[in-house]
Amino acid sequence: MSLFDSLIAGLSLVASFEAFFALFAGICIGVVGGAIPGLSATMAVALTLPFTFSLQPITGILLLLGVYKGGIFGGSIPAILIKTPGTPASSATILDGFPLAEKGEAGRALGMALWASCTADLISNLALILFAGWLASFALSFGPPEFFALILFSLTIIAGVSGESLLRGALSAMLGLLLATVGLDLVYGTNRFTFGDPNMMGGLNFIAVLIGLFAIPEIIAMAWNPTAHLGKARALGKTKVTFADYKRSFKSIVRGSLIGVFLGSIPGIGAAPSAFLSYSEARRKSPNKENFGKGEIEGVAASEAGNNGVAGATLIPLLALGVPGDVITAIIIGAFMIHGLQPGPMMFVLNVDIIYGLFIGLIVSSVFLFIVGSVAIKGFKFVADVPKRILMPAVLVLCIYGVFAVNNNIFDVGVMFVMGWVGYVMMRHHVPAAPFLIAFILGPLLEDNFRQAMLMSGSDPMILLRGPITWFFWALTVITIVAIIRGIARKAPAT
Amino acid sequence: MKKTTLTATILLGAAFGATAALAEYPERAINMVIPYGAGGATDISARTIAEPLGDAVGQPLIMANVTGAGGATGSVAVQNAKADGYTMLFARVGSHSVNPAMKATLPYTLDDFRFVTVYEINPVACAVTPASGINSMDDLVAKVNEGGVSYSSSGVGSLLHLAGAMVLKEFGVEDPLTAATHIPQKGGGAAATAVLNGTATFLCTNSSALASFVANGQLKPLMVTTPEPVVGFDAPTANDLGKEKLNKLVGWTGIAGPDDLPDDVAAKWGEWMATATQDAKFNETMSARGSVIELMNPVDANAFIQGQFEIFRDLVDELGMRIEG
Amino acid sequence: MSPQVIQTRLGIGACIAAAFLIFVGIPGWVSSPSNVQNIVLAPTFWPYVLSAMTGLIGLGLILAGRRTGGAASDEEVVETDGLGWPRLVALALIMALTMYALPRLGMVWTTMLVFAATAFLFRTRHRVTALICAVLIPLALYAFFAHVAGVGIPQGNFVRLP
Repeated sequence: MSLFDSLIAGLSLVASFEAFFALFAGICIGVVGGAIPGLSATMAVALTLPFTFSLQPITGILLLLGVYKGGIFGGSIPAILIKTPGTPASSATILDGFPLAEKGEAGRALGMALWASCTADLISNLALILFAGWLASFALSFGPPEFFALILFSLTIIAGVSGESLLRGALSAMLGLLLATVGLDLVYGTNRFTFGDPNMMGGLNFIAVLIGLFAIPEIIAMAWNPTAHLGKARALGKTKVTFADYKRSFKSIVRGSLIGVFLGSIPGIGAAPSAFLSYSEARRKSPNKENFGKGEIEGVAASEAGNNGVAGATLIPLLALGVPGDVITAIIIGAFMIHGLQPGPMMFVLNVDIIYGLFIGLIVSSVFLFIVGSVAIKGFKFVADVPKRILMPAVLVLCIYGVFAVNNNIFDVGVMFVMGWVGYVMMRHHVPAAPFLIAFILGPLLEDNFRQAMLMSGSDPMILLRGPITWFFWALTVITIVAIIRGIARKAPAT
Repeated sequence: MKKTTLTATILLGAAFGATAALAEYPERAINMVIPYGAGGATDISARTIAEPLGDAVGQPLIMANVTGAGGATGSVAVQNAKADGYTMLFARVGSHSVNPAMKATLPYTLDDFRFVTVYEINPVACAVTPASGINSMDDLVAKVNEGGVSYSSSGVGSLLHLAGAMVLKEFGVEDPLTAATHIPQKGGGAAATAVLNGTATFLCTNSSALASFVANGQLKPLMVTTPEPVVGFDAPTANDLGKEKLNKLVGWTGIAGPDDLPDDVAAKWGEWMATATQDAKFNETMSARGSVIELMNPVDANAFIQGQFEIFRDLVDELGMRIEG
Repeated sequence: MSPQVIQTRLGIGACIAAAFLIFVGIPGWVSSPSNVQNIVLAPTFWPYVLSAMTGLIGLGLILAGRRTGGAASDEEVVETDGLGWPRLVALALIMALTMYALPRLGMVWTTMLVFAATAFLFRTRHRVTALICAVLIPLALYAFFAHVAGVGIPQGNFVRLP
């Protein structure tokens, strides 16, 4: 079948009211679900899954994809408005989105988040359609040694989000790495810092840590000084993002999207590291570096491009290899299988109509996302006008519900509270929270892949340099570290 | 009429607490704990049965994923719950026969649960990549004896971990723990990927987890552990190869409550499951995923799980696989 | 607090934490089986590496704290009313009580109390609004999570909601 025939076949499959309605409804569900901290894109997809059982395969899958894409964008809404990421992927958006909201520019930040998300979504979908086969075979050449090198490189983004002091950023990262060791050991299954508590054996819940680290310290700070915010313009202020903003950030958006496509096509990394990497790259390249972290619109654009760039690309390993890239795509694979579809190379031969149907649906989804997102921003913006001393208790209550809902476990609420105090102490000592979070995400990946590589080679460290991909990332790591050290050396005489 | 009784029971229940309420079990929604993450085999199986089961129960079933520690976190949540039949667990081969057999420090034992049913059996299959040049179990064993063979699993103490060792042992590998390297991954998807990208040589896991890879020609099945062949798997059965003992190596999903679950509650679950598993759509969906629907009553379920547990425990003792500390 | 004090304090804190982990924490709370073939594969290897690096960073912070001049930036204004500490303690107490009450009272009733208590702790100017919100927001969240999202929100031993 030629490409044209495939396209027609796909079009005939999706060209129905139900298919587009499912996609649209999915995006609506996703945006709302993503906007509620704790509910997150993952939960929203899991909750929608049973509804797809009775739908046509293509309709059901488009519904789920809609939820996924909507959820990833929706997460940025609470990240900007109340410093609580609705989805782990939007934690990088906090770094500049929340300061913008504090400055009274929530509308501008939200608008930029939407524009960047839609642009990245489109780029990511195009990458999926054009390069799926090629990127998939590339993804399969990533074994533990390659992952180890890639993640080691990714850890250098800590320098990009450390703010004024690299040492304090490194300290924060170390705490994150240490905390991530809690739980059962990967290779031997023994207890590490669990104190015999079955709740600790699974490790600390990521979302509980995340919300505890970002949202709760704001509430504690409010108890320290309830009137600190008075006199600050927290209202919506200039509500619109301008085309000039978009144009200025366009490079960062494209760069972020490509980072997202790259990391998304490799199974097992996910959207949060991609958003941080994109953010740190944008900061490194920007002429007004100093403004990052204090409310720089380009930071919001880069983060959102980074995480939405992943959304389309995670479908590459899913469709081309049948391998889920993260939890959400694992659920989507489940939906494929329930309908008797088996994602993988053969699907491009046997069910090519469905593949092209999905492609068409995905392209449309970027447009739908823009429409739904614009409405959602209007709907949620009122949050910025709520008096802060009413808003904060509401955030606290919302976080309790949300964190409980993630894993149906009250223990996680306790983790959130404790992490809140840790975050508050860190805030008081000017220790940045972002490196902690990045380390908490990447730490277990780094350790696991290191140990898997050691198991593969019988503890021969040379396996960590086994091929061009590893050399490439090692070289990048070295270059980045040298650049960081030079940056410090240049700054030192000045102070 | 029915509605008034219901309202009356709710009011009574609120007034007299849980004991009075038990008389009319179930008079409110039942919490069903799934100890594994969304999208996994247990989760999909649980959510598929939930629909017909909810109709049979006549009350909503609230599905709650409580994940962590290979199913231990969710299992403990049910172990510690009130035995009033309003908190039940979807028990799985990993959490309730492999884990208790392998982990000395597990915070629960099989005796802490009362199984009311096992409703699904998943055949286990072993697979390699076509590129590996391994075409049969004999090839694999020969390779193992040469050295350098590894197998992936979804984690320490998972079915996949034990299955890899058990299969090699049955095929005459003296000390499978040192002859082949176990490379644990995080989750079943990652385990399959590890074989695909050459990190590990083979894996043994539920056929449903492998079905799409086999259909796509990405993985090559070497054998299945059931006496009957599995649809879509062009591989000999364990019985064809003369290893009947491997028939016990199957995955299953069941439902359990805390150990002091009252008899009448257990009996009710037996009835409900009998109704629910008749559902045509449920059967169709599950078979499409390669599961065999096999309903066991509470007594059979307990015997089945205990039997599998003992075989696994003996193997763990023999190979010294127990995880202490 | 001047940057110097902060750096030094953090440095000392990091060093103490590292020493504690290396000498007490890891030997005590990380169990490692006896049959580990290689040191790099041991469950304790990674925690040891991390602790050591934390210690090094701590030393670095102490050194950096000594090098940077003292009164660089004192942007932190001391709190306005001197009641900061009592309020922090009160908030910590509220959180501890929340953890106690969640399984017993149920999430809805507990969060109502939490909302009211924190709103008054923050001395809100809109008292009536706060009280109304304290009742309505937990109810709305319950309705959403329990009936739309199908989450089993803990109900507690006393009054159950439908």
